[in-house]
Parts: sequence; C-alpha cells; structure tokens
Amino acid sequence: MSTATYSIGIDLGTTNSALAFVALDDPSARVQLLDIPQHVTATSTEARPLLPSFTYLPPEDTGSTALVGLFARTQSADVPTRTIAAAKSWLCHTRVDRHQPILPWNAPADVHKRSPVEVSALYLRHLVAAWNQQFPDTPFAHQHVTLTVPASFDASARDLTREAAASAGFPGDFVLLEEPQAALYAWLAARGDTWRKDLRVGDLILVCDVGGGTTDLTLIAVREQDGDLELARLAVGNHILVGGDNMDLALAFTAQHLFKDKGHDLDPWQSVSLWHACRAAKESLLAADGPASHPVTILGRGSRVIGGAISVDLTRDQVQATLGDGFFPACALSDKPAKRPASGFKQLGLPYESDTAITRHLARFLSDHGDDGQPAARPPRLLFNGGVFKAAALKQRVRDSFRTWFGDDGVPAVLAGEEDLDFAVARGAAFYGQAKRQGGVRIRGGTARAYYIGIETAGLAVPGAPRPLHALCVVPHGMEEGTATSVPGEEIGLVVGEPVHFRFFSSATRTTDRPGDLLTRWADGELEETDPLEMSLAAAENAEGGYVPVTIETRITELGTLELWCASTVSAEKWKLEFSVREQE
Amino acid sequence: MSIGLAFSVFFKVLGNRDFAGRLTEWMARPAIPEPKAAAPKPDAPRRTEAIELLATLQREGRLVDFLQEKLDGYSDAQVGAAVRDIHRDCRATVQRLFGIEPLVAQAEGSTISLPATPDPGLWKLTGRVGQGSQGRLCHPGWKITRHDLPAWSGSDAAARVIAPADVEIT
Repeated sequence: MSTATYSIGIDLGTTNSALAFVALDDPSARVQLLDIPQHVTATSTEARPLLPSFTYLPPEDTGSTALVGLFARTQSADVPTRTIAAAKSWLCHTRVDRHQPILPWNAPADVHKRSPVEVSALYLRHLVAAWNQQFPDTPFAHQHVTLTVPASFDASARDLTREAAASAGFPGDFVLLEEPQAALYAWLAARGDTWRKDLRVGDLILVCDVGGGTTDLTLIAVREQDGDLELARLAVGNHILVGGDNMDLALAFTAQHLFKDKGHDLDPWQSVSLWHACRAAKESLLAADGPASHPVTILGRGSRVIGGAISVDLTRDQVQATLGDGFFPACALSDKPAKRPASGFKQLGLPYESDTAITRHLARFLSDHGDDGQPAARPPRLLFNGGVFKAAALKQRVRDSFRTWFGDDGVPAVLAGEEDLDFAVARGAAFYGQAKRQGGVRIRGGTARAYYIGIETAGLAVPGAPRPLHALCVVPHGMEEGTATSVPGEEIGLVVGEPVHFRFFSSATRTTDRPGDLLTRWADGELEETDPLEMSLAAAENAEGGYVPVTIETRITELGTLELWCASTVSAEKWKLEFSVREQE
Repeated sequence: MSIGLAFSVFFKVLGNRDFAGRLTEWMARPAIPEPKAAAPKPDAPRRTEAIELLATLQREGRLVDFLQEKLDGYSDAQVGAAVRDIHRDCRATVQRLFGIEPLVAQAEGSTISLPATPDPGLWKLTGRVGQGSQGRLCHPGWKITRHDLPAWSGSDAAARVIAPADVEIT
C-alpha cells in the first residue's frame, strides 16, 4: 500500500512473539523493537519486547476476557487447565480440526475453549493493538507487514496463519516469510553492505533454527546474477516438533531427580521455578568458559524464602549428558531419526518427535539434499538461530557433528556478527519488508515443497485392499510467489451435487517433478500427506452425465499461500479448492 | 462498681432536684458530639510507584519475603543459596525497569576533572573542597536510563497490596 510509513516484521513464535519495525522512507533507519504492553499480574501491566505466546482463560464469572502474554505464561504453571500454550504447533497438526475450540487440550468442561486459529489471532490482535496505541497516526492496517512462519509449515498451515492474520486486522497485502530466511535477513541487515565480502559464489548456507517448539532447517545458496551476488533458498527440512522447551523440560526433569535424591518432592508450583532456575543454570554452565557446576535453588512457596529454600548442584557434565546426548548426540551421516513405534491408539495431544536428536534430523536433511553426486549437502557456512544457541556448547555440538561427517575441512564457518537470538526473526522480517520495497537484497526461493493431488486409480477393486494411489504433481518445488500454472494432462471429472475430496501430499525432497507428472511410486517418507482439499459443486451447474470435466490450475499468491482451482474445460467457470482442516480419519 | 454507681445515682436523683435537672439535660445531648470541623480524611487508597516497585521486586525476586525474614538461625550457606537467586532476579528486574548505569564513565580510582560549579546532586565532594577542580574518583555514582514501572489496574482495596495472599483451591 502506498501510504505505508513503516515496514513491520512479526515473529509469531511457539513460545514468544515479537514485533520489529523500520521506517520505509529512510534507508539509514535502523530496525527497532516494539515494547508490547501486557499483563504481568492480574492487576499490573508492563511493556516488554517479548510477548509470551500463552493465553489464560479466567473463569467466566470474573468477567475478564482471555489474557495473553507474561501473566498467562505464569498462569500456565499455577492454573494449567485454563492456560493455552504452543497454539502454533496445533496449527499444523493435521489430525485435529483447527477451527474447533479444542484448547487447552483436555481442559475441564467449564473452561470456554478456543480454536488454534482463534488463539493465534489473539496474539496477532494484541500486537496490532499495541502498535495502534503507540503509533495512532500510522495505523497498522496501512503499514507494510511481514509475518513469519516456519519454513516447514505446509500450504494448509500457512493458509490457517493467513486466516488468523486477516481476522486480527492485518492489511490485505501482508506477506508471509519463512523464519530461517528472516534470520538470514537479520544477519544481512546487521552486516550492511559488507555481507558481499563475507560470502562467495557457490557458497551454501545452512540455517539451523531451533525455536521454543520447533526445529527448522534451511539451505540457502549464494549465486551470481548479472555480476551481483544473489541468494536462493534451495531446501527446507520437514516439520520437526522439538525445540528449546523440550530441552528445558528435560533438564528440569534431571534436576527434579537430584532433589528427590535429597528427599524433596517438588510440587507443580515449584516446578516452574525449577524451569526458570534450570534455564539460567544451562546458560551459565554451557557458556564458552562456564563453571563446572551451578547451584539450582528453589525458594520456599510461603513467605519464608530462606527457610523454605532447597538447593542442589547441577554440574556441567550432567547438563552435557542431558542436553548434549539427548538432543545433539554424535551420529553418522547415514543415520535416520528413529520412527515412532506404531500404536493402535488414536494419537492424543501434539505429535512430538519420537526422536529428539536434532543432529540425526540434521544428518537426514543433509543426506536428502546431496547434489552433483555428493551423498549429502556440505554447507561451508552456518547460521544459528533460536534462544537454545545462547549455550555455546550446543553450537559446538553441531559443529562437532560436521567434523564427524566431513572431516576437519567440512566444519562450516559460523556467520559472524552480533547475535540477537531472541529477536532476529522479527528484525529480519522488518528488514525484508524494507528491502522488498526499496529493491535491496532478496532471497529467492519460491515454494519450499512440491505438492501433489492423490488420484485413486481405476481398475479392479481388490476386497480389503485400498485402490492403488497415484500422485499428480500440481505445484513444482520452487514455484515463485505471484505466479500461476496450469497443470497439463488428462481432464479430471468433477462430480456435481456432492462434496469432492482430494487427498493432498507434499514433498520437501522431490525437487525435479514438474506439474502434470504422475507418480505411481515413491520412496517411504518422500511424500507427506497434509490436509485434503475439498469443494462442492451445486447440482444446478450444467453438467453432462453428472460431472464436469476440469483441469487443475495452481497459483502461489504474493502473500505466499497456495491456491488450487478447478477450471472447467467446457465453460469459462472456475472453482477454488479449499483446505479441509477438519479432524481426519 | 457499675451497680454501685447506678444505685448512688438513683438515690442522688431522688434526693437532689438540682442534680436530677442536670442529669436530664446531659442525657438529652446528642449521642456523638458533632466535630467542630471535619477531621482530615485518611488518604484514599492510592497505588504509588513505590508500592508498584515493591510489588514487582517481590513478585520477580522475592525481595520483601527476604527482608521480612529473620536471618537468625540460618547458616551463611543457607542464606547464600537463597540470596544468589534473589540477587539474580532482583538485579534483572531493576535493570529492566531502570537501566542502571554508572553516572561517570571513568574508572574508579582515576583522576577526574570537575565542572566549574559542580551540582551537589551530581557530585559529592570530600577532602580539600573548594581548593582545585580535580580529584580522585572514589565511586562513579549510578543513574537510571529508563523509568518503566508496570501500570496498575487493580481495585482500591488492593492498592496497598505488595503480594496477594496465595491460595491453592483444593
């Protein structure tokens, strides 16, 4: 929009959200963070740069509405059944209906639950209100807004994020940006024009982004275009539901056992202090020149703060064992993350990774993206992102893995610069908006995945066996924003008068399939099923024999979401396919 | 005694007309004497920034609990273990709210030049005061760079509360 004064970048995180902004008309303007007013207790508010992505639902009779932010995070320990956490992880959980009020998961009946989309909108609306309060003359809806999503978010999760943003009062022309790309933009912003000297043509950059709830891996190539350096996003990893929160929880569990050995059983209230104390101990012990041990103290809950205090010593070896071996173990490049054992029970709650080893997920990711006959991608540059990497020893673990896999020469150089692990994504998003407007450096990439529609083959049905499934490529890997394509191939007959469903798949690894390619077989794990597409044609449409012949057209919007259309081959009519995010069998 | 007094008043009223008249007069007076002027009302409960600061330091660093607790009977190690946490949290809170920085950037112990007329709010001078404009910096002083206290939205009844009573519903 031409009236925009600022570029605004929003990091809607699993555990924390942030808003950064930069003036558009001043090329020398620096990216700033917005202080976000939020409840710190039931009766006090304070402005903080981070908005914890937690929602507290007070009992109906108190007359107060849902509260988000720091107070809600505190309440998550004190009143867990009325607190919503990790709503973002639910957005991409295809086994539940994300429009239904299901959160807090397993809350008692008297709690007025909310849907994952609604909760995401609550955080965004809070940020919009904070902006409008501080910048009444330049309302949010008229600014240039960039919202970040995990690179591993599929088309359906992106669409739900768009829906939440639209309902929160975002401008119609806002854009989505992948978080690891935003982290690299933050680095580019901090380096200024010197980044061209830091990188060489042919370089490959691995962005290793371990957030609170998810791990996001991305490969970005440095290329030459018309004599200038250009960045291109080559590949992104699968959605890995393990992050810093899991690590803090694991450490708290270790500490809890130490307390138990001393005869102290901790109650749930104390376990929050324990998280807090363990996080501080972790950062101290895993710092570059950290001590060998660090006390973890839980103060008494009553007013006797010293008399009620209990304390244990956490050693660096214990933390290394818990976090290093649990989340960053040494492994071979050919190792694959362990799969969840098959279970006959319906999965409840979030599908957390059964293998928490980030190094094994990394090995799989690199192996999936080998090029030029190499068994695996060998990035010479590495960018860390996420609060987890405040602990220097964990960065070292990642680099050690590269040494194991590729030898001493294969350890990537960490992109130097001032680290701002908590805010890099928001800052990078604001910088991206500015660069986009003013023609600065851009990372090209298009879609991170190729997409496929499932086609059930005709032919004899075998009793008890599902019909063989073929996959028709409708969106190639790397399809650019703002482009459309018509899928060649045979017409598909759309039945009128009843809802039509298409199973829908995506692949982060099949990078050469073209639209119209029909896959009859694929390797295990190559294709991931996501939410199906559905559409209903009114029976009144002029259909011969109850069906309309159509071809598929796909479009990647400027915003970065995917649209699929069925175009009639006998008339000029088109129908849009919508993601069905209802609970799936 | 009150029964004795009652009887003595009873017989005095019977035998002394004058006393009876005065007593009637006295008993007809208003029950509570009207004050000549309205007494100054106590301050309406008000949330001051000082209360909010105490509440914040208590909430985030347990400072009031610590100050209210008697240290007798605890070993230095026990006190030390608790204080480490209280210090960490109170320090982080104060830093966030006030952004405390040294007033003077120079190193402690170095020689410092004073302005022509040093503001006593900025400079505490000792020694041979008034004889020279240089001295040794004994303490660089502190200043705040921010002033961001939480805003209060509670009831009047809660205005003077530093920490609410903590009750777990069972």
